[in-house]
Amino acid sequence: MFVSKKHIPRRRFLKGAGVTLALPLLEAMVPAATALAQSAAAPSRNRFVGMFFPHGMAPGYWVPDLAGPLPVKLPYILESLAKVKDQTVVISGLWSRSAEPPEGTTGSDHWVAAAYLTAIKPRKTAGSDATVGSPTIDQIIAQQIGRSSLLPSLQLSVEDPNSSSSNCGEGYSCSYTNSISWVGLPTPAGEAEPRTSPLPMELNPQVVFERLFGSGATPEVRAARMKQNQSILDSLRHELAGLRNTLGPGDRQTVNQYTEEIREIERRIQLAAKASASVPEIDLPPGVPEQFDQHIKLHCDLTALAFQADITRVVTLLGARDLTSRSYTFPKSELFPGGGQSVGFHGGSHHQEDPVQVQRYAELNRYHVSTLAYFAEKLKSIPEGDGTLLDHSLIMYGSNMGNSNQHQHFDVPHILVGGSNGQLAGGRHLAYERKSVTTGNLLLNVLDMYGVHQENQGDSTGRLNDL
Amino acid sequence: MITRLLAVSRASIVPMILAVTAPTAGQQPPAPVTAPATASPQRALLNQYCVGCHSQRAKAAGQEAARKITLDDLDLSRVGDHAEAWERVVRRLRAGMMPPSGSRRPDKATYESLTAWLEHEVDRNAPAYTPPPGLHRLNRTEYANAIRDLLDVAIDASQYLPSDDSTHGFDNMAGTLGVSSTLVEAYVSAAAKISRLAIGEAAPPALIVYRTPEDTSQDYHIEGLPFGTRGGLLVNHVFPSDGEYTLTVTPIFGDNMSPTGFGSVPCEKLEVLLDRERLQLLDWQGSRRLGQSDSNCGGASAEPGQRGRGAGPGAAPAGAAGAPRGGGRAGGGGFREPPPMRVRFKTTAGSHAVGVTFLATNFAPLLDLDQHFTRDTIQTGPTPGFTFFPHVGTVRIEGPFNATPARESPSRRKIFTCRPTGPDDEAACARALITTLARRAFRRPPAAADVDLLMGFYQAGRQEGDFDRGIGMVLARILASPKFIYRIEAEPAAVTAGVPYRIHDLDLASRLSFFLWSSIPDDQLIALASQGRLRDPATLERQVRRMLKDPRAEALAVNFAGQWLNLRGLQAAGPLPMIYPDFDDPLRQAMRREVELLFDSIVREDRSVVELLTADYTFVNERLAKHYGIPNIYGSQFRRVTLGPDMDLRRGLLGKGAILTTSSKPERTSPVTRGKWVMTNILGMSPPPPPPDVPPLPPRAADSTGNAKEPTLRQKMLDHRVRADCIQCHSLMDPIGFSLENFDGIGVWRTHDEGTPVDASAQLFDGTKIDGPAALRTWLLGYSNQFVEVVAEKLLTYALGRGVEYRDMPLVRSLARDAARDQNRFAALVLGIVASQPFQMNTKSPETAVPTPPTWSSGVRERKGSR
Repeated sequence: MFVSKKHIPRRRFLKGAGVTLALPLLEAMVPAATALAQSAAAPSRNRFVGMFFPHGMAPGYWVPDLAGPLPVKLPYILESLAKVKDQTVVISGLWSRSAEPPEGTTGSDHWVAAAYLTAIKPRKTAGSDATVGSPTIDQIIAQQIGRSSLLPSLQLSVEDPNSSSSNCGEGYSCSYTNSISWVGLPTPAGEAEPRTSPLPMELNPQVVFERLFGSGATPEVRAARMKQNQSILDSLRHELAGLRNTLGPGDRQTVNQYTEEIREIERRIQLAAKASASVPEIDLPPGVPEQFDQHIKLHCDLTALAFQADITRVVTLLGARDLTSRSYTFPKSELFPGGGQSVGFHGGSHHQEDPVQVQRYAELNRYHVSTLAYFAEKLKSIPEGDGTLLDHSLIMYGSNMGNSNQHQHFDVPHILVGGSNGQLAGGRHLAYERKSVTTGNLLLNVLDMYGVHQENQGDSTGRLNDL
Repeated sequence: MITRLLAVSRASIVPMILAVTAPTAGQQPPAPVTAPATASPQRALLNQYCVGCHSQRAKAAGQEAARKITLDDLDLSRVGDHAEAWERVVRRLRAGMMPPSGSRRPDKATYESLTAWLEHEVDRNAPAYTPPPGLHRLNRTEYANAIRDLLDVAIDASQYLPSDDSTHGFDNMAGTLGVSSTLVEAYVSAAAKISRLAIGEAAPPALIVYRTPEDTSQDYHIEGLPFGTRGGLLVNHVFPSDGEYTLTVTPIFGDNMSPTGFGSVPCEKLEVLLDRERLQLLDWQGSRRLGQSDSNCGGASAEPGQRGRGAGPGAAPAGAAGAPRGGGRAGGGGFREPPPMRVRFKTTAGSHAVGVTFLATNFAPLLDLDQHFTRDTIQTGPTPGFTFFPHVGTVRIEGPFNATPARESPSRRKIFTCRPTGPDDEAACARALITTLARRAFRRPPAAADVDLLMGFYQAGRQEGDFDRGIGMVLARILASPKFIYRIEAEPAAVTAGVPYRIHDLDLASRLSFFLWSSIPDDQLIALASQGRLRDPATLERQVRRMLKDPRAEALAVNFAGQWLNLRGLQAAGPLPMIYPDFDDPLRQAMRREVELLFDSIVREDRSVVELLTADYTFVNERLAKHYGIPNIYGSQFRRVTLGPDMDLRRGLLGKGAILTTSSKPERTSPVTRGKWVMTNILGMSPPPPPPDVPPLPPRAADSTGNAKEPTLRQKMLDHRVRADCIQCHSLMDPIGFSLENFDGIGVWRTHDEGTPVDASAQLFDGTKIDGPAALRTWLLGYSNQFVEVVAEKLLTYALGRGVEYRDMPLVRSLARDAARDQNRFAALVLGIVASQPFQMNTKSPETAVPTPPTWSSGVRERKGSR
């Protein structure tokens, strides 16, 4: 879909819907972009993608019959992964213990998507002290390998949290539902639990594109805007320093953080200034596509572009929000020859164990996994060094429920796709005994692949030795 | 003043800093039972009706009820010591939930008096609660409104800023509006873009696309477009500069494989309008296959280039792109792309109404043999037996071409309150402009240092370009300032930690305007506050009443009610088209608008908030009236209608499509969700979440005849309630939902569900038996005091921008009591909140709470110490 060119085309998708006011093209503040990747993958260039979908998967439709090599014919939900099967590891039997409600309580398990990449139960609070107990592993990885890229990490979503602001609760902040990427904050003296803060997940592919590549019709315009922004940022830092003195202690903390963020942006502008001016060409619809399929695939395309140009190495993608009633239109394809429409995601996940309803739910899961397949194939289509982008990436796709009809948090599906710089042998199914291995163990293995060797992560009890 | 207030606050249960609404006399709540003796009657009641389950012994035995709360160990002579526990008790008592259904209860009067006594005891011991609210960042809505009021330009903030998290049901909670580098970058970027837009610089060409929703229907007239037209799209577009623009229309396409647009009616004509004047009349090109042309469309069809009836007023010469060029273009274009429907025109910078619509004809697809559903686009491929009108899919506005800087626009009128007459007075004019802009944007008279700093940016811009460029730089700097983005309340120097203090009048002005308008204060508020007069109770009340009448107060309906009643959730509601083929986007929008207008009428007409449950009027347009079965309503505009006896079922929130749809699943109704909605939003008591290991329903019994009916939803749910640990909560929610079963998943009245007559009878948790929505409403009115408290609690949460907790409940009750003395009028609640201590005060937090300065930056953690 994309090749490297020096301008942004005006060709746009004709399909799609939704009354949307789009950004003007060629209008961003961040100038230029880094050069597209020219060299073979360095060891640190093992990209990480975390993809999360809530509500588990239809039982009986995704677990391969046997442990060991993946079968010739993949299970129904996973069938789309056929073309990347030799780089796919399916893990069954994991226990997402951190998604279970705290002892003695119930019902909180729809609010903990944020636990996906920490394996720690988030603090039950609806206030500003929301924390997930540790930075999410994507942020730990970003700390390790993301410093030298333009964007340390990128967060993407496909569902607007503002469409249903009152639809999360039970005493949990909506942040736990809206973001699966949490960054570490300084922890005040005397507090035991690390403070963390959610990173906003960007919905609009157009905005993502501008963040990745900047814009501005000509190098001169970019330079002028960069200069203006630099002077504004510089002056903002002075203003914030002055403000500190007039504020109360609590508010001062916010201002401190603001100041830090400005430094981070200044760092990025300096990086960007050194980079070349080439901007890739991509068919980008202005605004947020209404069709899920187009939307998520655009995010995948942009991620592939960002990896290729080494603008970022760490991406998280929130495929749906917990409790969403969204229903998906299946594009006509080999998987869905007649197209069709899915059941509502949350409603359908409560399939009552009715075979017909389970099957309908499996269709929905099958469709969701096909977006993973799309992404993996995209990465595989891009050569890099001695292999492809997929060889130098790891995509972790998963959920925090197994059979969601009963809100079971065991037997949760996890799929790893990618070579991870030769660290992951694909074509395998790892099957664990029910409730014997927590997801924290998997997180430890993933961290290992990025040179972060921790003793434990969240509820981990060890590592997956056979991964 | 402050000292006196604080003295009062300790002694009183009521926040009465200014006592705007009522004199302080007579604020004691009814307290029918006097203070407890050694073995008080209250203790006797608790022992008799509650302690059986809620005791230490039961807790030791691991009983669920006692794990939640025990009542035998709480000292009734010191109720204030356990206010949190008692608040939980009171909440359940007020909602009528305890003792549980089936258990013995005291008579109503005793029940009431115990509840009132407990409340009184809590209230009388409650200290005023004024925690620091935290630093508020403007959320997206507030940001867009502030830009509108500051610069007179309408922006869609979602195109500039990432979305905000929400908590406690609202997205304006200080604690949740965090900072990240993504966000800071977005603010700086938005500041630059918006300043260019407002000044009207000669912009480079850009493309902006407006799309109709996927489930639109365009068979009807759209409000704001000329009569005699059908469907289309009307947008207010902000043109960045004076110049030429092109407007291109594309149809909604058929399915993936279709080369043509949706719709099969031939010879349609499309009118393009700018500010309600026709720019051009085009032949619709969307429905036919490439290389074909419509024949038999009458007179002008022979020469495609001439088909448009020429340019309307204000149009540039139609130009080469003005009309379809037929097959030549089509051959070169994409295989799917029909010749473009494009108009090129000249216009000025600023907002203009752009309309694209079909001329209505007397063609009637209704003559189709098959029944036509209201929603057109269920299947966008050709469907045998159906004829569809073509639909506008997108309107693309590209430009400006040959742009020149704007000379005049609403934004410029707002910004350039003076114009320099020559080089000599440029600086003076700039200083005057800057002072006004900064005052409005920062919501206070700017300090001299602020103005000087901004003058520096002006001069930098002036050196690069002209006067306007200088002001543009200033604007970019102002909009990036934390003083604009944050609601900064400076802390007075001489305050002691932990002691509440009164905020400055200017901060009060901002709290007011963000509460009532979701925007910045206007000049009048700032002027009064600058003079220190806003705190005067009479002045404050006059201002509040003025603000509630101002058009900007619509924010209360859109933002407050939109979130409280989950109207925003409608946007994400997607009833399955195969089950609800009549649901489409015009209906969705009409449902949302109806409730907004209902709420707005309560605000504007200062009615009782209880009318939200009972109002015998509503607001409908033709689409919604048809949905409800209200006859004789024609046209797309909303109007107020009285709900007579035959429409009794539509009275109040419980009869509204918006509520009934968002509380349903895409494929069916959900009595549980509806019950929970009523419990939460009307009774103020959210039922606890389900247990973790809900077993599946038993599979349906094997059926020997093979054609037995599916069990009804009600039967299935009754099965569910057989389990003991499910019953307790489902017996609260389900009956409420059952009584609404006559409304289907999109709020249409029905008498049968899948062939079985609807049974809307139910026994509610307090033992009342009802049948149908009218009876439910009557029953809820018995809890109307509770409802007023819920409104007060939600409104207080929204006004303060922080979660309301048990320590706020004495205030909530006093707000409701005061409002009750004024017929529960909306303004009474608002005035009570505005006069309350938490709204007018702040507390310095102890210095120890300051964490060490951050050493992490967002996105990545970085150790600074090691350098």
